[in-house]
Amino acid sequence: MAKRIVIDPITRIEGHLRIECEVEGGKVVNAWSSGQMWRGIENILIGRDPRDAWIYTQRFCGVCTTVHALASVRAVENALNLEVPLNAQYIRNMIIAAHGVHDHMVHFYHLSALDWVDIVSSLKADPKKASQIGESLSTWKLNSPQVMKETQDRLKAFVASGQLGVFANGYWGHPAMKLSPEVNLLAAAHYLQALEYQRKANMIVSILGSKTPHIQNLAVGGVANAINPDSQSTLNVERLYYIKTLIDEVGDFVKNVYLVDVAAVGAFYADWTRYGSGVTNYLSVPDMPLDTKGTSFELPGGYIENGEVGTFKPIRSYQDEFFRNGVKESVKHSWYKGSWARHPWEETTDPNYTKWSDDGKYSWVKSPTFNGKPAQVGPLANVLCMYAAGHASTKKYADQTLATVGKLAGAKVGIGALHSTIGRHAARAIRCAVLYDTLQNQWQLLVNNIGKGDVKTFNQPVFPSGEIKGFGFHEAPRGTLSHWVVINGGKIKNYQAVVPSTWNAGPRNQNDAKGPYEASLVGNPVANTEKPLEVVRTVHSFDPCLACAIHMVDAKGNEIVKVKAL
Amino acid sequence: MKISRPISVIGLGNILMRDEGVGVHVIRAFQERYDTPDGVEIVDGGTAGFDLLPLIEGRDKVLLVDAVNFGREPGAIDVLVNDEIPARFSTKASLHHLGLMDILSITKLAGSAPGELCLVGIQPKALEVGLDMTPEICDKVQTLVERVATRLQDWNVQCVLRSPQKSSR
Repeated sequence: MAKRIVIDPITRIEGHLRIECEVEGGKVVNAWSSGQMWRGIENILIGRDPRDAWIYTQRFCGVCTTVHALASVRAVENALNLEVPLNAQYIRNMIIAAHGVHDHMVHFYHLSALDWVDIVSSLKADPKKASQIGESLSTWKLNSPQVMKETQDRLKAFVASGQLGVFANGYWGHPAMKLSPEVNLLAAAHYLQALEYQRKANMIVSILGSKTPHIQNLAVGGVANAINPDSQSTLNVERLYYIKTLIDEVGDFVKNVYLVDVAAVGAFYADWTRYGSGVTNYLSVPDMPLDTKGTSFELPGGYIENGEVGTFKPIRSYQDEFFRNGVKESVKHSWYKGSWARHPWEETTDPNYTKWSDDGKYSWVKSPTFNGKPAQVGPLANVLCMYAAGHASTKKYADQTLATVGKLAGAKVGIGALHSTIGRHAARAIRCAVLYDTLQNQWQLLVNNIGKGDVKTFNQPVFPSGEIKGFGFHEAPRGTLSHWVVINGGKIKNYQAVVPSTWNAGPRNQNDAKGPYEASLVGNPVANTEKPLEVVRTVHSFDPCLACAIHMVDAKGNEIVKVKAL
Repeated sequence: MKISRPISVIGLGNILMRDEGVGVHVIRAFQERYDTPDGVEIVDGGTAGFDLLPLIEGRDKVLLVDAVNFGREPGAIDVLVNDEIPARFSTKASLHHLGLMDILSITKLAGSAPGELCLVGIQPKALEVGLDMTPEICDKVQTLVERVATRLQDWNVQCVLRSPQKSSR
């Protein structure tokens, strides 16, 4: 007899994302992913000026504000067929890259490392041995015995204080925790060090975007940054070189700490390369446009079916029909009126809450499909697509990381290992390193272009009287994000955001096929149904963020075993 | 890193969800009414989680303004300090509180927790999607602005009324 477990909340945010699993013989045999809050925030945009939409869309989500601002201006520019000056592309690209580097670091160290790292165990570590392990893996400057000792003292004081806050419900001591005390201590030291480096990465976003959270510098048609190499009040040489200093400081951490730590965790948890693959249709979009029209990109994107890299089909431009025609959302299993699957331009968002039904409606999240099939999005999809496209730095960091894992695990590890729970973490670190190189490149492109005397950052949008439609996409930290807009007479007539966590957390689709979270959980081991750490690991590996996929507190369920996950 | 602005005043909330955004509206109204010295950073924090870390870690004092579920009538105002805050936030009041709790826990772990934490909170009435606040909460914005000013003055921060020419638009 299967036992039903309910994990709510799974992201520490009550009433947010709920996972229900049936467990039989120590394994998940069925799963449901449910967004527990109503989404309908796009309705607020109807009737508004499309030039202002990005200001509202960046409030969709508290975690990833920048990405919704960017997708929104791209959607409106696409509807207008408006070109964007090169400087504006480069500045936007730098914001994207710096934001992504920051976001990936925070996700690994601060939001999910404690699924794998046991802080309490690190109190028993020998700091000298921890240092030796660190120094055998990388050249990082802060792996010394003294740093390990200081970290351990700080952790001891923290644990002794009893004020554990959000850490109090952790899975410390869980039998699925496998790292030695020394490796735990090393990881904990890097957890603290990562705070400093994620801050530096985010400072780049603040400087270019004028402010975080909520950047201020975007505009439909470009950016509002005035460029004058010699003026104090604009983006000048001094500021550009300060940004360069920040970029340089972050690189060592990304390459010699984050990538190495992920490889080490992957090697020590090698069994986790066998769990959590789920949906292996992968969708990602190209990003970092290198021309004014969006027909050439530094980072490729496309679609892979059934996990076969050879099936890769590229998405080539902001006008790409393969992408434009491929996206649909279904509400057959979602709490909205009707039972349709429609293209985003044709969608409605009319709530219709009914009680939970395993075979019927059970989520506020819609179910997106690409050419009729569920698709996984996120860093793993992005890395596999870039790898398939032969992108040089992706190949370099992917091969290097897999080689490190192989060396530590004493086995050959191929790219197939990435189709897994731990593989999603590895892919995120690989993507972080790729984004880091992109950040360097885009900085150089901007400086070179300004050096040629081009200081243009904005093209004026002009709206025609009739109806126009547009879509804008962005490969965001959690995956493919697209905004879809219908404009009539200069006013928004319809607006839909198809966000990464909707792709991954969506319920069953029009053909009753499971969404990526759901499919990834089937076959996942669960040693103790009261403490389903293994389920949490798999869902966290997607970097769940439903603040934008859904909104508004609602709905209480009747739980059988209710578990609060950290 | 040396922090040149030891005090942060952060308005929290989502302005797309009616009274949820009251903290942001209060911060904006405060900035229209008062000038503050250089050591004070006043920020529309939105619903941000981790992006707020630099505004919290290592600060002498942090003042938050937010919609809070006190279980009282809409418009009820209360001021909480230090350890009273996590206890209130750990029960579901608003989505973004948990992000803030993460940050506070992390600053404690890292030894960079702010010296003093204060929350000026108000019980919201409506949290559905919409740009306008309810009249009940709107009416309290100036009261909240004065509560913020009073608390800052308690912290020896001079809040100087802006001249009418400056504050009128």
